[in-house]
Amino acid sequence: MNAVLFDVALTAYILAAAAAIGSLAGRRDQLAWVALLLTQAGFICHTGAVILRGIELRRLPFSTLAEMISLLIWAVILLDFWVERHRRVRPLSAFVLPVVLALGLGLPTGLRSIVLEPPINGWIMVHVALLLVGLAALVLNFGGALMYLVVERQLKAKRPGAAYYRLPPLETLDRLTVATLTVAFPFLTVGLALGALSARRAWGSVIAFDPLALFSMVMWVIYAATLLGRVLGHWRGRRAAYFSIAGFCVMLATLSAGVFLHGRHGS
Amino acid sequence: MAPDAPIPEAPGLLFVAGMNHRTAPVAVREQLALEEEKIREILADLAGRGLLQEVMILSTCNRVEVYGVAPVPGEARSQAFSRLGSHRGMAWRELEPLLYTATGDEAALHAFRVAASLDSMILGEPQILGQVKDAFALAQSAGTAGPVLHALMSQAFSAAKRVRSETLVGRLAVSISYAAVELARRIFEGLEGKSVLLVGAGEMSELAARHLVDQGALPVYVANRTWSRAQELARGLGGVPVPFDQIEATLALVDIVITSTAAPEPIVTAAQVRAALEARRGRPLFFIDIAVPRNVEPAVNDLEGAFCYDIDDLRAVVESNLKERQREAQRAHALLEREVVKFVGRLQQLEVVPTIVSLREKLEAIRRAELERALARLPGAAEDTRRVMDALSQAIVNKVLHAPMVKLKDSSRAGHGRRWTEMISELFGLRPTE
Repeated sequence: MNAVLFDVALTAYILAAAAAIGSLAGRRDQLAWVALLLTQAGFICHTGAVILRGIELRRLPFSTLAEMISLLIWAVILLDFWVERHRRVRPLSAFVLPVVLALGLGLPTGLRSIVLEPPINGWIMVHVALLLVGLAALVLNFGGALMYLVVERQLKAKRPGAAYYRLPPLETLDRLTVATLTVAFPFLTVGLALGALSARRAWGSVIAFDPLALFSMVMWVIYAATLLGRVLGHWRGRRAAYFSIAGFCVMLATLSAGVFLHGRHGS
Repeated sequence: MAPDAPIPEAPGLLFVAGMNHRTAPVAVREQLALEEEKIREILADLAGRGLLQEVMILSTCNRVEVYGVAPVPGEARSQAFSRLGSHRGMAWRELEPLLYTATGDEAALHAFRVAASLDSMILGEPQILGQVKDAFALAQSAGTAGPVLHALMSQAFSAAKRVRSETLVGRLAVSISYAAVELARRIFEGLEGKSVLLVGAGEMSELAARHLVDQGALPVYVANRTWSRAQELARGLGGVPVPFDQIEATLALVDIVITSTAAPEPIVTAAQVRAALEARRGRPLFFIDIAVPRNVEPAVNDLEGAFCYDIDDLRAVVESNLKERQREAQRAHALLEREVVKFVGRLQQLEVVPTIVSLREKLEAIRRAELERALARLPGAAEDTRRVMDALSQAIVNKVLHAPMVKLKDSSRAGHGRRWTEMISELFGLRPTE
């Protein structure tokens, strides 16, 4: 039942993504409304799916990697609502929802398997929770960086298009990427450190040839470099945006490595 | 007592007739453009002749339009324009071919389009709404605006407001100097506290600087080859004069640079800007180069964090804005069509409202009279007895009223309110005695 509900949520997100992109490219405000409603409906189904899963399996509904990713999507949508509403960075969802799909499409199969991981202890829970917050902020960081590049390109090329007329100013977008990165990085760092410590205790090695662990180190290095560049090198705008996007690509690779490759994070 | 709206004998139809910059040459429009006092006089005169139940005249340099409510719009139209033309000796048959006319829903749509500036020569220009408001105020003060025009205009004003806030029709710059400001707004989050360097003088560059200052840009540095001219300009803009050889140093301080000098060679080079960006720690720098030949090396635009728009680029942005306004106008039109549907609903409600009011008043009067009579027969009645009787009588009236009210409102929505108002007026003897 929870898997069905999750499929419904994912379908709503897919349609919402299409509507959000359509509203931006086709300059249709009604479509933006449709996108918002679909996202909200999807979010409600998604919340229901997570709770129902916990009840049906009689355990916490974030014990496998697939479940974490589902929860990550949930957190991303929640954060997106907040940013769009309070920071008026619109239409962020047109850039974030497609990411949600990239994350979510591999999941239905993963969620159907109900193999229980080795028992999850307290520290691993903290590891997971911190990473969840960090990664959700980084997904928005990616959305902001992408919007930045689109607007910057139109301004440099001096050819105003839909993005020029509809997206927020460059400075706002740059601020969004700084803010999301600054918030995400401590969560990411402590979350990964806890993971490394737990890994050493459980597997005897920090990396232990686990693909997910390996990729996540690379991801951390890229985000660390971006933050360092911003603080010390005064990177702004385009360069910082490229790094954000690179970091995000590695994040996707990390998560798919976890889901599709066999490793100690299970699959 | 609520106002007893006079119920006209024959139903009036909303219409608009007029000419604008597309249908009539300026030579004719200027003949009909009249000052306020004349219009007031004509309004009173037209209302007095009996063909028009309500009338309002909108007269601007681009249009002369008569909005009215009349049983026979065609007659009313020729009467109104004959009267308007008579002032300058223009006959009805000269004017007639230049006029467009619309009635009912289409007239409402036209009014909304005019108020929202979709019918203007410069699409989205903001003055027209004020002119429509003035025209309506004039008709109100002349006593020729009734419930229909009132409903039409209040809806037109709110529709125009929606168009302004929900579409970009009136918001995209159509002048070079505004386009520059708009570009600055695409780069910076707000212009408050952004500093400006104005190099050279010229009408367009000063205008752009003025717009930036109006939106909160501060401080403004002014550089000019002639020191006294720099001081003068700085005074005018509330800025700070800067020696001409300090331009390079100032680049590190400011966010927006406007150049318009007659220098034959660029006065700002890419190398200078690269150094300035370094010193600015990557904060963006926006160049508005209005000079020909250009004052800023075009290569500046290739530097990360620097944006350089020359006069042709600004023109291209204006072109693009005009096209975007056209696209937005289509969206605005669709929005107005939905507003017309709302207006038609209000108008139909308007038909039944006077009947509802007078029905209520009639029953309330009966109730009070009967209640007083009954209480007079019970001199020793306790307070709670009185209260119970009052409540009882009120409940009866409300229950009796309920069905006819619902019926009236439903029928108005279905478009045959008039039949039912007549029937109910007849049944309850509501016809106002005039």
